Amino acid sequence: METLLNPSKSTLKLSIPKTHIFKSSLLHSTFNPQPRTLFHRRTLSFTITCKVKTSQGRTNDGKNISKKILLTDTAPELSNEEVKVKPKNGGGALGLVRRLPRRILALLSNLPLAIGEMFVVAGLMALGTAIDQGEAPDYYFQKYPEENPVLGFFTWRWVLTLGLDHMFSSPIFLGTLVLLGLSLMACTYTTQIPLVKVARRWSFLQTADSIKKQEFSDSLPRASIKDLGVILMGSGYEVFLKGPSLYAFKGLAGRFAPIGVHLAMLLIMAGGTLSATGSFKGSVTVPQGLNFVVGDVLGPTGFLSTPSETFNTEVHVNRFYMDYYDSGEVSQFHTDLSLLDMNGKEVMRKTLSVNDPLRYGGFTIYQTDWSFSALQIIKDGEGPFNLAMAPLKLNGDKKLFGTFLPVGDTNSPNVKGISMLARDLQSIILYDQQGKFFGVRRPNSKLPIEIDGTKIVIVDAIGSTGLDLKTDPGVPIVYAGFGALMLTTCISYLSHSQIWALQDGTTVFVGGKTNRAKGEFPDEMNRLLDRVPEIVESSKSKQTDSIGG
Amino acid sequence: MIFSTLEHIFTHISFSVVSIVITVHFLTLLVDEVVGLDDSSEKGMVVNFFCITGLLVTRWIYLGHFPLSDLYESLIFLSWGFSLIHMVSYFKRRKYNLSSITAPSAIFTQGFATSGLLTKMQQSAILAPALQSQWLMMHVSMMVLGYAALLCGSLLSVALLVITFRKVITIIGKNNNQSFSFGEIFYMNERSNVLLNAYFLSSKNYYRYQLTQQLDHWSYRIISLGFIFLTIGILSGAVWANEAWGSYWNWDPKETWAFITWTIFAIYLHTRTNKNLEGVYSAIVASMGFLIIWICYFGVNLLGIGLHSYGSFTLTSN
Repeated sequence: METLLNPSKSTLKLSIPKTHIFKSSLLHSTFNPQPRTLFHRRTLSFTITCKVKTSQGRTNDGKNISKKILLTDTAPELSNEEVKVKPKNGGGALGLVRRLPRRILALLSNLPLAIGEMFVVAGLMALGTAIDQGEAPDYYFQKYPEENPVLGFFTWRWVLTLGLDHMFSSPIFLGTLVLLGLSLMACTYTTQIPLVKVARRWSFLQTADSIKKQEFSDSLPRASIKDLGVILMGSGYEVFLKGPSLYAFKGLAGRFAPIGVHLAMLLIMAGGTLSATGSFKGSVTVPQGLNFVVGDVLGPTGFLSTPSETFNTEVHVNRFYMDYYDSGEVSQFHTDLSLLDMNGKEVMRKTLSVNDPLRYGGFTIYQTDWSFSALQIIKDGEGPFNLAMAPLKLNGDKKLFGTFLPVGDTNSPNVKGISMLARDLQSIILYDQQGKFFGVRRPNSKLPIEIDGTKIVIVDAIGSTGLDLKTDPGVPIVYAGFGALMLTTCISYLSHSQIWALQDGTTVFVGGKTNRAKGEFPDEMNRLLDRVPEIVESSKSKQTDSIGG
Repeated sequence: MIFSTLEHIFTHISFSVVSIVITVHFLTLLVDEVVGLDDSSEKGMVVNFFCITGLLVTRWIYLGHFPLSDLYESLIFLSWGFSLIHMVSYFKRRKYNLSSITAPSAIFTQGFATSGLLTKMQQSAILAPALQSQWLMMHVSMMVLGYAALLCGSLLSVALLVITFRKVITIIGKNNNQSFSFGEIFYMNERSNVLLNAYFLSSKNYYRYQLTQQLDHWSYRIISLGFIFLTIGILSGAVWANEAWGSYWNWDPKETWAFITWTIFAIYLHTRTNKNLEGVYSAIVASMGFLIIWICYFGVNLLGIGLHSYGSFTLTSN
């Protein structure tokens, strides 16, 4: 339980050991209670008792109990609340119901629980990459057989009952993510927001002893606190000077940023949920010159998907072509599309390529694939004939298509003919009736080729374009979450440094601490303090007048 | 032609310079400190940085595209990342010397890249249509820089664990009430000027604790920085995927493992917020992160499937 309030934010920790010692009515009557913050009202009933234990546990014999009353903004409040809250028990069933959400909140914002959840998520994801996803059950029967279980116990029963074959949409995974989201919200609410409020309150330390107890402390024998203030200001600190004491801080944004990180993650999760339940997607392979209607291709993904008017748009593929490198490999795919509305009027015309999609009316068309539709040839002066090309091998980027032109008696069972193969749209390889390689022709050369008495001219290679269509209402939310996450993660690198100083006669006592850059802080402070000018006394009486608080 | 010879020259110079730097460190460790050579090892790392930068720039110029399209180029970029980290820490704080971590890392990655295993990939490769985008520069460079920083940080944590191996066992074994994290020992030591703890009675132990404290702190700062780069890399990759294929997250093996890496280091940052878990447990998490980064970077490529198949390679020696 002691992990509930983040102990590294030690502004709280430092004040508690001192104040809980002076529980006197004098203290209660002199200080006005600040308006109660959510933090005090809600979590104190569970944390204060633990915190008292902690601070007692940590108080060493070495600590020096000062007899002075510490005048800080935060301390007296806590002592007020502490005394008043303890006797309150909230009896009865109604009290239990009222306390239940608070208990759940406290349970969820436990840090080891959150860490455990993150480990579980990571483990499930790793498992999801180890087990092949989305295969037929038969595949799992073979791969994880019952007679010979992997690792001694892992059979297909585990895979199918727990839903590990569709891990990333399975109940376990989504359930853990939901739990993580709830922990995120609970932790932000109970822990981080109050910490920010505490960090923002600045306080002056009025005694040299309290300053000496900081993580870094030093004293400058002959200096003026105003010089120190000026130097700190020049170094990017915000300085507050009140009488003989000084308070300066830098990098407060670094305290707010983790809240921003959590909120950005919640935004991303919300957007992701919307995408998963409210979008439409579909893919289509369209030969050059043909049309399709957007609404026919798109299918909903979840219960929140609602179609829009623009789904009635018809898409006409004007032309599909590819660019090639000098070495012959494909460099880019292009599709020239026209969008026509219900009346047949063209509303948009654009050439797509792989990293350049078409956006219209809420849906987006992406160029993702290509295929070979037909080969147009002229045979012996007759034609043109369209020979459909069949895919022989579709290995990702390496494809092979082929077609067959029968020659001679087409009714006999052993029909012989001319085979034509192509890897892409730029060259066709022809084989004769015996299956031997005969020649290569390019479609735009229009050069005839004579094979076994048949004169063939390859007129055109007609490709078909593979398009993916999508509408996704969650994308703006997710993008906003991405941007916020990037920004807030960068900002949370900043370290919140606080410096207190006190002018005591001619000596200035300086103390400070920082929350992240603990290693560099002493060096930075030493460099700053080196620059504070030392006041050399020419005549003692003059100096004491000008320096004294 | 001139560019490829220039590239070869740069590769050979940087490799040999890093080997010399490591040899100097070994001499200092095993034999004795040779006065005058220590500065040269620092200069050697600076020379190495400029050589690798030159290598990348020449490759960029004569390939026409940003040099990050396959495994070989990304390995060179990774070793550039290591030497960049070393340069930044060298110029900011002259005290702490990271070259014992960055130099061997740089040499290992460069050695692997230029070794015979990847000769096929060293020649310039044509950029596939899907990679012809401005996002290539941002996404891959951020990811590789993130990997470099996280690897450095997790190596520092591993070093921390190795140095304090025996103390780790006692600290884990002790009762929670009495266990001390390194931060707390340091803190107590600073506040009360009395050396209460028996650990500090010998000066050797005191210096060891100084070292572990520094390792702890540096590992935290470098991992935070690497985490920022990793976040930006993953998110820019998601935006690129959305622009190219219409969906920003596909549970591709590489994407999933990058997310797992991100999660592990998020766990690390969260363990640092709690004084009890700080110190030993966070170092253990960061060490796990070291293995996970290698699985993410290399292991997934060996599978050769999915959207990220550009990085795949088969281990055939030519």
